[in-house]
Amino acid sequence: MISITNLSKRYKAHTALDHVSLEVQQGIILGLLGPNGAGKTTLISILNGLIPYRDGDVSIFGLPLKENQKEIRRRSSFIPQAFAFYDNLTVLENLRFFAGIQRITGNTLQNTIDSAVSTNRLQTMLDRRAHSLSGGQKQRLNIAIGLLNDPEIIYFDEPTAGIDPELRNNILQSILSFKAAGKTIIYTSHYMQEIEQICDEAAIIHQGKIVCHKPLTDLLQQNDSQTTLESIYLSLTSGQDEQC
Amino acid sequence: MLTQMLRKEFILILRDKHSLAALFIMPFLFILIMSMALKDTFNNERALLNYEIIDLDKSLASRTLQDFMLTSSFLHKQTEESNSKTHLTISIPKGFSTSLLRKDRKEPLLQLEVAPDVKQEMVLIFQAKLTADIMALRLMQIQKKIALLLPASQTFPDLTDFQSKDFLQIDYKGMKTNEQPTSTQQSVPSWIVFGMFFVIIPMSTIFIGERKQNTLMRMASMNISVPVLFAGKVIPYILINQFQVVLMIAAGVFVVPLLGGDALTLGHSLSGLVLVSLALSIAAIGTSVLIATLAGTVEQATTIGGLLNILFGAIGGVMVPKMYMPQAMQTFSNVSPMSWGLEGFLDIFLRGYGVTEVIPETLALCGFGISLLLVAALIFSKRVNI
Repeated sequence: MISITNLSKRYKAHTALDHVSLEVQQGIILGLLGPNGAGKTTLISILNGLIPYRDGDVSIFGLPLKENQKEIRRRSSFIPQAFAFYDNLTVLENLRFFAGIQRITGNTLQNTIDSAVSTNRLQTMLDRRAHSLSGGQKQRLNIAIGLLNDPEIIYFDEPTAGIDPELRNNILQSILSFKAAGKTIIYTSHYMQEIEQICDEAAIIHQGKIVCHKPLTDLLQQNDSQTTLESIYLSLTSGQDEQC
Repeated sequence: MLTQMLRKEFILILRDKHSLAALFIMPFLFILIMSMALKDTFNNERALLNYEIIDLDKSLASRTLQDFMLTSSFLHKQTEESNSKTHLTISIPKGFSTSLLRKDRKEPLLQLEVAPDVKQEMVLIFQAKLTADIMALRLMQIQKKIALLLPASQTFPDLTDFQSKDFLQIDYKGMKTNEQPTSTQQSVPSWIVFGMFFVIIPMSTIFIGERKQNTLMRMASMNISVPVLFAGKVIPYILINQFQVVLMIAAGVFVVPLLGGDALTLGHSLSGLVLVSLALSIAAIGTSVLIATLAGTVEQATTIGGLLNILFGAIGGVMVPKMYMPQAMQTFSNVSPMSWGLEGFLDIFLRGYGVTEVIPETLALCGFGISLLLVAALIFSKRVNI
């Protein structure tokens, strides 16, 4: 589904991604872990065609990214950590706007909005301005907008940051339901417990390099029963171990 | 896609009360205030100088001179009841009437005392008026002497008619007979131009907000193109600018007269007006888009934009009409795009010109606006991978 080979990205003297290679199969949830500044956002931004790259090859859906950026963007969705919508528009106006700019019109428009609304339980707040929503409601709207194009790949950038446990659980359940619907999910988070709870595979990125990429079950089984994802993560990111 | 962009932009602007105030209420109030404040500046009937006369001669000639002076609307003779300040005091010495035609005078014919704060040009205007009056008096005396030499059946033509109002008809170019420029015709174009450039406030608030909140990044990930994105910014603000123009013209035509000011008289070229208005809009939007693209925060954009607008306005003749500027400053004012727009509007409203005459201003404004839009698009494309 996603194939990354020797991808590098430099910002002047700083190397954000250093010969990253990664394969992501269809229908799985990949947890992308790493400390702040490790290169997670750069990697996700490149996969979404938001940052250009020169070195390395990326293909998604079997299509080279550089030549098929529009087609790939059309079939995937990026749900950023920040609430990327308009505070002064209502929930419905936001949904209509983002559907409209993706050329979703006519009957499809209504069905798409209805589906995004019901999946994210936004029915009772359609006419409320986005700025008046609670943090959890805003996150639901943020996710609903990302589902409008019925994406095959969804990139979640720390969707549960600053969310209460109940809502966090709801969001994780929603993500599992997206997986059940056959979607591929790339999920970044600082919460190891969440990764353990929902992800099939984990990739740990440190100083621009993928230092670990394995199915979660393999990763946890290869060590003794006391080992957690957190301890593996800490040993890799603190330089104690170089590879998992 | 573009329809959604336009719809979104309109909703956001309409819900932003501060921007609406800057776009509509501010120029509206300026038009009312400045039309009233400058009303007398354009009033030919207004007295500019107050004078007193000390008549020591008390002759027919000295009284005639005083009558001549009363015919001038820019002079006001002080009376005992007058509270206003005296600018000039004219002393008519004893023997004035007899020395009018004499060359061998030892004393000046008249003496003038001027208050120190009276402008030099005012003294010169007064001097010219007094010279004309003395000339008329002399002619009258010569006429009388010649008349005595003529047979009774023959009359001598009146040579002093240059004192009367119908001696000279003044017509203002592009205006009907007896029509003259008013403060409203100066202030409406000025504050329309100024108000149009204030699109920087809603534009930067929305545009920078989109950048900061990652909405723009989200749109980029949804395949929005730079032309559509920029069209979604330019078109709504062109329409808003045109609405501003209509509203401010309506204020000049209908509201200013209600407050005792002169009504705005429209020119004869609607197409010329539309042309200038659209070109000015492109210039204002180009400036705003570039500032919104370059600025890091809304505060930066509104501060830079506000300062630039005030600077453009001060240089361009919005705040102080160009005619009151020294020649060098008038030439320098041509660097401001507000000056081009203002001249375009004055061509239509004040000078009665048409499309042909406003083409230079239109081209300059369009060129300026489009250049800035292209620079903004270039910078934006480099920053965001769309």
